[in-house]
Amino acid sequence: MRVEFFGVSRQRAGISQLEIEAETLGQVLEALAHRIPSLREFIEVDRLHPSLTASLNGDSFVSDPQTRLSKNDCVFILSADAGG
Amino acid sequence: MFGYHGTCLRIDASLARAEHVPLTEAILRQFIGGGGLGVRLLLNEESARLDPLAPEAPIVFAFSPLVGSPLTTSAKFAVVSKSPLTQRINDSLVSSGFAIAGKGCGCDAIIVVGRAPELSVLVIDGDYGDQDSIRLESAEEYRGASCQETEMALKARLGANYRIASIGVAGENRVRYATISHDGRHAGRGGSGAVLGAKNIKAIAIRGHRRTDWAHPQELTELSKALSRRSFGPATAKYRELGTAANLLTFNRFGALPTRNFQSGTFADAANISPEELSATRSKTRKSCMACTIGCEHIYGSSTGGVRVEYESLFAMGSLCGVGDAETVLHASQRCDELGIDTISAGGTIAFAMECVERGWLDEPWLRFGSRDALLRAIDLIGSRSGLGDLLAEGSRRAAIAIGHDSISIAPQVKGLEIPGYEPRALQTMALGFAVGARGADHNRSGAYEVDFSDKVDRRRVTLDAVRLAIETEDKAALMDSLILCKFLRGVLTDFYSEAADILRNVTGWDVSSDELHEAARRIVSAKRDFNVLAGWTLAEDTLPERFLNTPLPDDPRASLSPERLHALVAEYHRQRGWDAAPQPAG
Repeated sequence: MRVEFFGVSRQRAGISQLEIEAETLGQVLEALAHRIPSLREFIEVDRLHPSLTASLNGDSFVSDPQTRLSKNDCVFILSADAGG
Repeated sequence: MFGYHGTCLRIDASLARAEHVPLTEAILRQFIGGGGLGVRLLLNEESARLDPLAPEAPIVFAFSPLVGSPLTTSAKFAVVSKSPLTQRINDSLVSSGFAIAGKGCGCDAIIVVGRAPELSVLVIDGDYGDQDSIRLESAEEYRGASCQETEMALKARLGANYRIASIGVAGENRVRYATISHDGRHAGRGGSGAVLGAKNIKAIAIRGHRRTDWAHPQELTELSKALSRRSFGPATAKYRELGTAANLLTFNRFGALPTRNFQSGTFADAANISPEELSATRSKTRKSCMACTIGCEHIYGSSTGGVRVEYESLFAMGSLCGVGDAETVLHASQRCDELGIDTISAGGTIAFAMECVERGWLDEPWLRFGSRDALLRAIDLIGSRSGLGDLLAEGSRRAAIAIGHDSISIAPQVKGLEIPGYEPRALQTMALGFAVGARGADHNRSGAYEVDFSDKVDRRRVTLDAVRLAIETEDKAALMDSLILCKFLRGVLTDFYSEAADILRNVTGWDVSSDELHEAARRIVSAKRDFNVLAGWTLAEDTLPERFLNTPLPDDPRASLSPERLHALVAEYHRQRGWDAAPQPAG
């Protein structure tokens, strides 16, 4: 499955997206913390810091680490604050 | 009284005379400061039915109990008047040193009425200490000068310890969305610059050093230090690292980036004008408002100098007008700053006119989506009110009425105020926030987009459950704008009302609770509605243009908002507010 980064998470990751093998949101976040140390400030074990949020395919926002994902899913990591 | 002077300074510009009007502790406690105090003072002035450009119409500069304190982001003031663009309440907030100098004159607000006999600088010398401290000086030599030129020239003329709020050419020409500029920032929305221009006031120059005492100074200092420390954390990283412009690519991916006058929610050239691209290809510096630890301002190099970049300017000058060339977008944004024009309303009105040309409703063939020359030319015409600019300076609603056809259905405005960079069909809680906004389509007085970017709603199919959540964001914004604290602290203040009560207790000594502050927030929102009712508001205004209600987003058919659904949301909003849908204005 694909993870896309936006805003601060993209700046910190230094990439716009990557492919990860995971079955749950929690596994995605654990893998990100492991592979991209600069994101660790924003990941608390298997959850995002409240300043970031995750969207599943742009359709819904998810936070439960047990959220099931399929290999065709795309997880967006973005700022929780959309103020402009 | 702690935190306040207990008085406002009422200035008649026709006579260059001022009087101090007492403010009771009860009024201050009920309306706090900033936007809240400003609307209360406007109601006292019985100004709702006045033409906002008439000499007798008041404009209020309201400070707050927190101004001058060590609290981060507290150096702010509100400019409050009836809007010449919407004919409804308008309150715009701006930073920074003007707030401290203004409160330093020994008042909690300044009300200006009247009209100076010639283009003038209103000089308020709070260090002088008597009636003679108010004077008018000719500003004829600054006629046609940019906001920045005026500010620099006046500091050179009067002294560097003066703080200057000024208008550009647009304000002189009463462009209905002209800004008031201070230190490179703007009271941007709703046309307060036109109100000042109609008073023949090119600038207000102010200095003052009178302090208020704090009820619990040691506790306030400790609280301020702790808040500053927290403001360096992840909750504000977005603003430090990319600024508000970080929204651009995110919104584009969500199909929520208004493009070509809201004909689409995605822009093919978004990456070209994104802060990620600007950061990679241009020099960049960061700047903070006075007394701010966040530092959200990102200034990028361009061929015309450094340009402060915000999301709203990128969207309005970029995707909304179909312009994907970063240099043009930066130049256009800078030009608006120089002329003193709200970028959102300028972009919205120009994009609207571009679509009218595309549809054959407006015979200005040069004005095409994506044309850099057209964008820059249109901005200059608006500032000078020359040619087509005279029509566009009126805003999209008035322009649509003049153009005719069915153009009002595509004019991107609510109550006359152009819609900011949040596509309402893709963000439907925000759609409600726009529809019911007291000053029109507004992302600063309603933070309903927060709800759309959460797991609490389906952003493309919101239900009545969203109404309570939208109201919560509106109440919170009303309190933040009255305290005044920067909204970029939202994520830092995890228990907002409780922490705000703690702050206000230490500043004022009042035994204020979070419940009392929540009640104050609701009171302030209601006061704005009271003003609008007196000004002629009707329920029919609380809606969106037809485009959003009968056409799904072409690139996202699920982003569809029916009139029935929006009207149900609006009706529920009024019910939960406890407001009569058909109020009778008093008197």
